[in-house]
Amino acid sequence: MKNNITLILALLLAFAASAQQKGDVLIKNGTVLTITNGDLAETDVLIRDGKISKIGKGLKAPSGAKTIDATGMYVMPGIIDAHSHIALDAVNEATSPVTAEVFTGDAVDPLDVSIYRALAGGVTTSHAMHGSANAVGGQCETIKHRYGTVDPEALKMKGAPRTIKFALGENPTRVHGAGNNMVPRTRMGVEAVFRNSFSEAQEYMAAWNEYNVNKSKKGFKGAPPKYDLRLETLADILKGEIIIHCHSYRADEIYMLMQVCKDFGIKRLVFQHVNEGFKVAPELAEFGAGASVFADWWAYKFEVYYSTAYNATILSENGVVTSINSDSGELIRHLYHEAAKTQKYGGLTDKDALSMITINPAKQLGIEDRVGSIEEGKEGDIAIFNNHPLSIYAIPMYTIIDGVLQFDRQNDPDDMRIYVNPEEKIDVTFSQNDHTVDRCMQGTEFLFKN
Amino acid sequence: MKNLKHIFIVFLLVAFSIEVSGQNAKGKTGTFALTNATIETVTNGTINNGTIVIKDGIIAEIGANVTIPDGAEQIDCSGQTIYPGMIEGGGRLGLVEVNSDPRTRDYNEIGDVIPQMKALTAVNPNSVLIPVTRVSGVTTSLAVPAGGLFPGTASLVNLHGYTPDQMYAGFEGIVMNFPATGRSSRWDRRSDEEIKKEAEKALKKLNEVWQRANEYHRIDSSLKASGNAAKLEYYPEMEALLPVVRGERKLLIEVNAADDIEAAIEWVSDKDIDVVFTGVSEGWRKAKEIAEADIPVIVGPVLSIPNRQYDRYDRAYTNPGVMQKAGVKVAIKSGDAENVRNLPYNAGFAATYGMGKEEALKAITIIPAEIFGVDDKLGSLEKGKSATLFVTDGDPFETKTQVKYVFIEGWMIPLESRHTKLYDEFLNRQPGLEK
Amino acid sequence: MKRLHNAVVWKLVIILFIGVLPLSLYGQDEKIAPVTGTYAITNVNITQAPGRTIQLGTVVVKDGMITAVGKTVSIPADAKIIKADSMYLYAGFIDGLSHVGVDMPKEEEDQDVDDPSNPPNDIAGIQPDRDVRGLLNPADKSVDDWRKLGFTAAHVVPEGRMLPGSGAIVLLSGDTPDEMVYRSGTSLFSQLRGASGIYPNTVIGVMAKYRDLYRNASYAKSYKQRYEQDGAGMERPVSDRVLEAFYPVIDKRIPVAFKAESVLDIQRVFILKNDLGFNLMLGEVKQGWDVIDKIKSANASVFLSLELPELKEEKEKDSTDTDEGDTKKELTAAEEEQQRLDARKKEMILNHYKQPALFTANGVKFGFSTLEAKSKDIKSNLSKMVENGLSEDAALTALTTAPAQLLGLSNTMGTVDAGKIANLVISDKPYFDEKSNVKMVFVDGKLFEYDDKPKKKKSDGEDIDPIGSWSYSTETPQGTTTGTLKITGEAGDYSGEMTNSQTGETTSISDIAISGTSMTYSFQINAGGNMLSISVSVTIDGETFDGTMTVGSYGSFPVEGERIPEQ
Repeated sequence: MKNNITLILALLLAFAASAQQKGDVLIKNGTVLTITNGDLAETDVLIRDGKISKIGKGLKAPSGAKTIDATGMYVMPGIIDAHSHIALDAVNEATSPVTAEVFTGDAVDPLDVSIYRALAGGVTTSHAMHGSANAVGGQCETIKHRYGTVDPEALKMKGAPRTIKFALGENPTRVHGAGNNMVPRTRMGVEAVFRNSFSEAQEYMAAWNEYNVNKSKKGFKGAPPKYDLRLETLADILKGEIIIHCHSYRADEIYMLMQVCKDFGIKRLVFQHVNEGFKVAPELAEFGAGASVFADWWAYKFEVYYSTAYNATILSENGVVTSINSDSGELIRHLYHEAAKTQKYGGLTDKDALSMITINPAKQLGIEDRVGSIEEGKEGDIAIFNNHPLSIYAIPMYTIIDGVLQFDRQNDPDDMRIYVNPEEKIDVTFSQNDHTVDRCMQGTEFLFKN
Repeated sequence: MKNLKHIFIVFLLVAFSIEVSGQNAKGKTGTFALTNATIETVTNGTINNGTIVIKDGIIAEIGANVTIPDGAEQIDCSGQTIYPGMIEGGGRLGLVEVNSDPRTRDYNEIGDVIPQMKALTAVNPNSVLIPVTRVSGVTTSLAVPAGGLFPGTASLVNLHGYTPDQMYAGFEGIVMNFPATGRSSRWDRRSDEEIKKEAEKALKKLNEVWQRANEYHRIDSSLKASGNAAKLEYYPEMEALLPVVRGERKLLIEVNAADDIEAAIEWVSDKDIDVVFTGVSEGWRKAKEIAEADIPVIVGPVLSIPNRQYDRYDRAYTNPGVMQKAGVKVAIKSGDAENVRNLPYNAGFAATYGMGKEEALKAITIIPAEIFGVDDKLGSLEKGKSATLFVTDGDPFETKTQVKYVFIEGWMIPLESRHTKLYDEFLNRQPGLEK
Repeated sequence: MKRLHNAVVWKLVIILFIGVLPLSLYGQDEKIAPVTGTYAITNVNITQAPGRTIQLGTVVVKDGMITAVGKTVSIPADAKIIKADSMYLYAGFIDGLSHVGVDMPKEEEDQDVDDPSNPPNDIAGIQPDRDVRGLLNPADKSVDDWRKLGFTAAHVVPEGRMLPGSGAIVLLSGDTPDEMVYRSGTSLFSQLRGASGIYPNTVIGVMAKYRDLYRNASYAKSYKQRYEQDGAGMERPVSDRVLEAFYPVIDKRIPVAFKAESVLDIQRVFILKNDLGFNLMLGEVKQGWDVIDKIKSANASVFLSLELPELKEEKEKDSTDTDEGDTKKELTAAEEEQQRLDARKKEMILNHYKQPALFTANGVKFGFSTLEAKSKDIKSNLSKMVENGLSEDAALTALTTAPAQLLGLSNTMGTVDAGKIANLVISDKPYFDEKSNVKMVFVDGKLFEYDDKPKKKKSDGEDIDPIGSWSYSTETPQGTTTGTLKITGEAGDYSGEMTNSQTGETTSISDIAISGTSMTYSFQINAGGNMLSISVSVTIDGETFDGTMTVGSYGSFPVEGERIPEQ
């Protein structure tokens, strides 16, 4: 009994020590699904110092490196979720239609056991997003699931591009228009919020440029413009430093945001959910916007009533970079199964289906040169399955991040909490499968009670 | 080449628009022969290279050597497999259209004790959700009211028909939500003490209701026995509970947390009633007890997170298998509405995580049919049973498997739904970028 | 407007009932002025500072100062001699971050702001220009409660949300706020606590707003400097009290005192510190054990919370009870799991208990803070820390010399040395002895004596009497609600009513039931046309109660209250 506890603690400590660490692993003799370079039978993958150093046959493990026998198993790149809210203490600053200044990176919660559950589904990277209560939501953080640490910084994927959440349609109009009687109450208002925000940001940039040019001049008497973190952030979007990830459903609003972005010279744009993206697929492809979709969610609210589970296929066939996301602590655990639904709904190839949860979301997050495929030089993020990951009979067996084994189905204990709530006695029994509220609306529920 | 494709699509669109008047193409009835098929009977093993003859809504013949009647429409199912229609063991399909809009929600009437509220009344035969579901091979679904202690009467419906009565599949059961001691959400800040007290209070209320139902039954019975013309006053709640008390109608008890399961077993133990547990998300903690009490369960959703932070991550996946191995009669449900079509994947995960393919298939076919007492018609492919089945190009649990044909009570169902229609219209949208 | 009016009225009510009345109660003892302000405490075991002791020596107090300490010192003629035979004397304790003496009527949130995205600063909890001196109440019950524990000085900060105001070093005696204040403007108190339903509402909103304010303050400050040097031809800088409150922080004249209990909040504060560069004082730390290195490298002053989670061991007793004879019973899977879970929980709780010892072992200097602690728990919590590895010397350090150093008070406080302010605590046994009682406390040279009255013990099972008036407050997602609760009648037949001070509405309450120290009742409110049933369950502990309020299916929320003394 006592030994068990000691074991758990030792394991946890081992995890804590491994946070941010880079490891060496040799994965032997698996079927390697590289995504970008075909499938390689009975092939080894060697990870050294956190990076994939060699892919080939008969590789030798360097001394001290862990070896995983993947005979009969499938080795794929760590799964990437372009839309999630796990590992966050706060999701929505729902008090204003524009909150570009807030940042989910400030609320990263490395203690969330959902991170481990995602690992147990082969997911190594997720996009910890702000919610969809505001037309311009907050900036988001791209995290790696380095579970086992109390340090939020250890989860952050340093160097990943900045991203920000936008939202269209029912959520922002409901929260602000219906809830607080302020713009936007309609999709017209949503557009106006964007145009106002970007126009103000242009003025703001101009004012600061003028000030910075003049301030070193002799005898300059001017005052600096009022500093505004919100406008600073919007200005960074205009400068192309931040990728917009926009919660959207209806074709008309998707089209609207593309027009707004064209008018303001914004090029980096990914639509999230985008249930009616298939209706404007040619326009999305032409713009070069990404689409990050649910495999089959629909009808839980009116703006997704005219949806189809063939969305991903239609988008993909029209040349839109498309990913399948979870937006849920439940779905994130079986994204490989969600990706397989593109084969049921539209008959995508294995490679195209798997791209939806690997290289495509990587592209949407601007991290495709680091993760999303098994290539030499890329980061050692790997998921290993006992069966082909698109099969219903696939079980994730190992998940590796930066060459460090983060999930091992055979050896991990049941209780994977890092901190235990000292006050808690009776445990939360959540009611499951409630699609009435988007996870995106987390933290705004109380606005709608009564 | 491009032009050709263009013309072809225009042709398709014209054909399409002619076919699609109203919401969906009509179903087709008649005599059908599904030939050269692999037949998974579920109850009698696998028939290779077999034939099923469908006539008058039932399976007229089934086997490897079957005479095909004259005039039968022959469908060559080479390389394909026939399965009995999948049965959703409890969701909101038919009772809701767009969940966020209360005007389209018909599963939650006001009142704590309202067993007389009949789901069948509110099932919308024309719901857009129904074709989306049945084209995936789910042919039958239990529509379950939700809410308080006794939220209503659930009804089993086949997913084809233009009135509720045409859809009715022969089972109704009274739903009960067993008083829960778990926390409902992160906003639930009640103290342990309060949760206990409230559950006790709810249990007390339940027992009071039950006692009254028993009184109603006693008086009603003695009036009837004595041939007395006097009748009990109109009391619809009690009238609805009467068949349950008499053991003539099933009581579907939704119960999830381990302690609650134990309490529910205890509650049932001194009553001579016909009970099914539903939900049962922590059944794995009480598998032995449930098996000993000989109570069948309809478990799900399987694709869900564990109830407790410290539970192993795959508890919901392994739950059906654990119970089944302990000797519990296990059916599986998705518990969904618009995505009841994911029922085979709920079963598939259960199969993968310990239950095995065969048992998991039973858990969405013959077992729910038995639980609902409709196994004379549904749940397996046998001569004389309802011709409610589907044909696939592979393992129905595998995600990529395509459903080729669906028959419900002998009606061949058009394989179209809003989702397929939108696919047809938009895969190559015309006009494209340029008008 | 009406609501605001109500708020003012309510504030008055609070001051009248909770503020003034205790003043007359506790003030009575002090009405009889002492004959002399000079004292000689003789034959006392003196701990001048941790590790520096004098056995059976004398301490002389005069003019509010310690004038002599030693084995043999001459006793002034006007001194009142206190024979403290075999008692133990220490420097008065210093509370590193505290709300002691702060009179804060629970302010209701006024939800009716015109624009929730841009609410007035004070409603949004942005009040860094507020000075805790304006909020001190010398007669607040907490002052005596703290003093009774041995605290003589405290770094006191206002209550509030994100930026509640500036702190002050306060002596725990005096008839007016100014008499109590030793030094003001000592810190900019900050919390990661958002406003209710308005901007900034969440931790991400608060942190963004904090950066925005801080950087605006930096710009405003440097522009003001430029203007003051040569303002001719320059636009006049606009006065802004909120931004100006940051100036001493930006100049690093004072630190930001940040409340950060959890391991995550602590690290969030570090994010802000790294972004903005202020000097940091970290208060009410509860879960710092895994981030000691970060605390060290942030060079933060640390005050550990004196609130600890409770370790309940009943479960284990239960399981031994069921052992029949000596036969080892096979444990069921559920029991084994329960044991594992209990063990993990215990481990977690012990981490809290062991934290001060761990900080000491890692060479981190720390004091204690009491923003969350209840006075009745403080002494036993100190004992728990000592039982879990904190040496008595280290504990004393954290109560005296360490906070004195961290707060810049070492010249005048923290040790028993001639020339220092006469802040002393005298106990009948060594302070950290479980059975010790504080008998006398000197604050600023003033003597407070304490008899340990045996507490009125309620016999088990006897029902308490709820009759009377109670103030209550409750926290819901909509904000804080306060009001009064009046209970009349007699045992078994209570009736009552409650008044919501936000709406002014009076509602009758029903189903009042008492069982031992627990009270339950229920009432209904009209929420947009629907009658909503609310049930309340509280435990009464003397003059206060706390518990929860369950609002239909919407969830449960904490409720607490205090008896309003009868006139």
